[in-house]
Amino acid sequence: MGRIAILERFEHEHEQLDAEHEKQQHRSESHVLLQRNPAMVMPASRESFQGGVFHASIPGGRSGATLSIARGELIADTISEPSMRFSIPLNQCQIDLGGASNRMVFCRTKEGDLTIFCEEKNFAKELDFQSGGMLAGPLKQLKKGLAADANRFRFWLTFSAVACALLLFLGYFGVLWTAKIAIRALPVSVDEKIGTMAFSGMEMGRKLEANHPASRLVQEIVDKLKPHASIPELKFKVTVVEDADINAFALPGGQIVVFTGLIKEAKSAEQIAGVLAHEMSHATLRHGIERVSQSLGIVAAIQIMVGDVGGLVALGAQVAQTSILTSYSRAAETEADLEGARMLNAAKIDPKAMADFFEMLKEKMGDLPDAMAWISTHPQHETRVQSIQDHQKKLPVVQYEPLQLDLKAAQEAL
Amino acid sequence: MRHQMLCPPAATALRFELEQGESITCEVGAMIAMTSGLTVETTTKSRGGSGGIIKGLKRMFSGESFFLNHFTAQLPDQSLLIGPTLLGDCVHHSMRGGTMIVQGSSWLASTPGIEIDTTWQGFSSALFSGESMFWVKCSGGGELYLSSYGAIHSLEIDGDYTIDTGHIVAFEDTLKFNIGKASRSLIGSFLGGEGLVCKFHGQGKLYYQSHTLPSLGALLGPKLKAK
Repeated sequence: MGRIAILERFEHEHEQLDAEHEKQQHRSESHVLLQRNPAMVMPASRESFQGGVFHASIPGGRSGATLSIARGELIADTISEPSMRFSIPLNQCQIDLGGASNRMVFCRTKEGDLTIFCEEKNFAKELDFQSGGMLAGPLKQLKKGLAADANRFRFWLTFSAVACALLLFLGYFGVLWTAKIAIRALPVSVDEKIGTMAFSGMEMGRKLEANHPASRLVQEIVDKLKPHASIPELKFKVTVVEDADINAFALPGGQIVVFTGLIKEAKSAEQIAGVLAHEMSHATLRHGIERVSQSLGIVAAIQIMVGDVGGLVALGAQVAQTSILTSYSRAAETEADLEGARMLNAAKIDPKAMADFFEMLKEKMGDLPDAMAWISTHPQHETRVQSIQDHQKKLPVVQYEPLQLDLKAAQEAL
Repeated sequence: MRHQMLCPPAATALRFELEQGESITCEVGAMIAMTSGLTVETTTKSRGGSGGIIKGLKRMFSGESFFLNHFTAQLPDQSLLIGPTLLGDCVHHSMRGGTMIVQGSSWLASTPGIEIDTTWQGFSSALFSGESMFWVKCSGGGELYLSSYGAIHSLEIDGDYTIDTGHIVAFEDTLKFNIGKASRSLIGSFLGGEGLVCKFHGQGKLYYQSHTLPSLGALLGPKLKAK
């Protein structure tokens, strides 16, 4: 392609324009008013607008223009050099709406050879005002179109906002939910890791030696219950800690801590077995890791989903520090009661001992008022005793054997 | 300023002859070669116009770059050679007021009188036109240079005209387009391989490209081996 000099081409086009211009002026039937000297006519419109003109006489057929409305005519002065003036009498205006924005107002002559257009907001209003209602009909049509457009835009905006919110919401809970399922599928070794870390980080009283009579008694009960645990590969480890509280707790992975207060207050070795069965059930039912998953943040959930178990273990240990790990939900407590009863029954120990122990606790500590029981994480003792007794009826009937253990000696050694 | 198209339409490059003091704004990375009397200034604004960081970000959304390069001749008789990233055509469009709506990434260069902004063309256009979500809006008076993959053809529309999705390069804002079916039935449209099309209405100039990059990608993609 050869070299094109734009300016030269412009000049050439202007020559053509002049010739066409002459022709135009001879056309008497034309509604087009064409003046080469716009300075002679003063625009009477209060406002001027930026728009454009389509006409064959303009180089390129189109030009930007300054629009004004005066004496019943829409006047356009092109911004190209030299400026040209075009006008359409308002009573001959054919109004149309379009353009890329769909907000552009087009005014055409009946013949369609001249089009003046404008996108400015007040243009239609001014056109309506200056035409004295002549163009009210078509302009109303335009307004309707614009309103419909705005409505559609608002609809889509709302729709996409709602869709985004829903997606975020579903995404957030989807990740949490998937992480919970993923945690359940993790091997028990993860529980063990969390339990060990939590145990070493806990502040407790003096731990009794493994050959202390109380430690031996507890260990023997655990050994008897162990074969009946629902997760056989779980290694149960019991520690007796000097503490006056009547309490025991289980950490994930089978770490069980029994306070000396509980051993002192127990009426029989079976009652201790009942508490141990309950705590062991927390471990086998994996309530600890469930608790971890409940306190999962979205970041930890994503970590688990991408396979970062180390992060989970750290989180679990952290959760344990705040003792959340050992305070289970009411549902989890009841579940542990029933699973404990099953284990006791299978080990030929009367589950009634567990119920008895709770009965004793009730007498010792009193019961919460009914209203409080609903809020408390622990089931009301009375309900617990009842549900254990109900459950016992469903278990296979076995001949219970009393434990051949010397509770008295253990209690005296403390 | 004069310009010259080199090797159109397959491997088009643009050569500008600039007089002292003249300047041109180009897409970042478009410069191929230049004489030593030209200075390059990189900003987020169009020359002498408004702009700044927000406009730069908006431009990024439309597929253009955050920055703009302004080349100014400090000495007489300077020449600058620029070209689009891809093989393809360039066109020159003279603007005298009004607005040109350009497909993202098709804007190549413009003279200082042209303001470059970004515009949104509605949801249906954003999703189905086969172009990017946002369009580049060039308004004012001056010379505008567009580029595209394939050859660029132009057309003066007065009434209705249909273009396949993905083939639009630029159109004047006096034109409006809707997304529609190529034939009367939707199934027929897709069986005919045309699917959705852009139906233009109004009066104004339209530039369209003969080939589209996504169709080349669709052909090549399956034949490429996974790394």
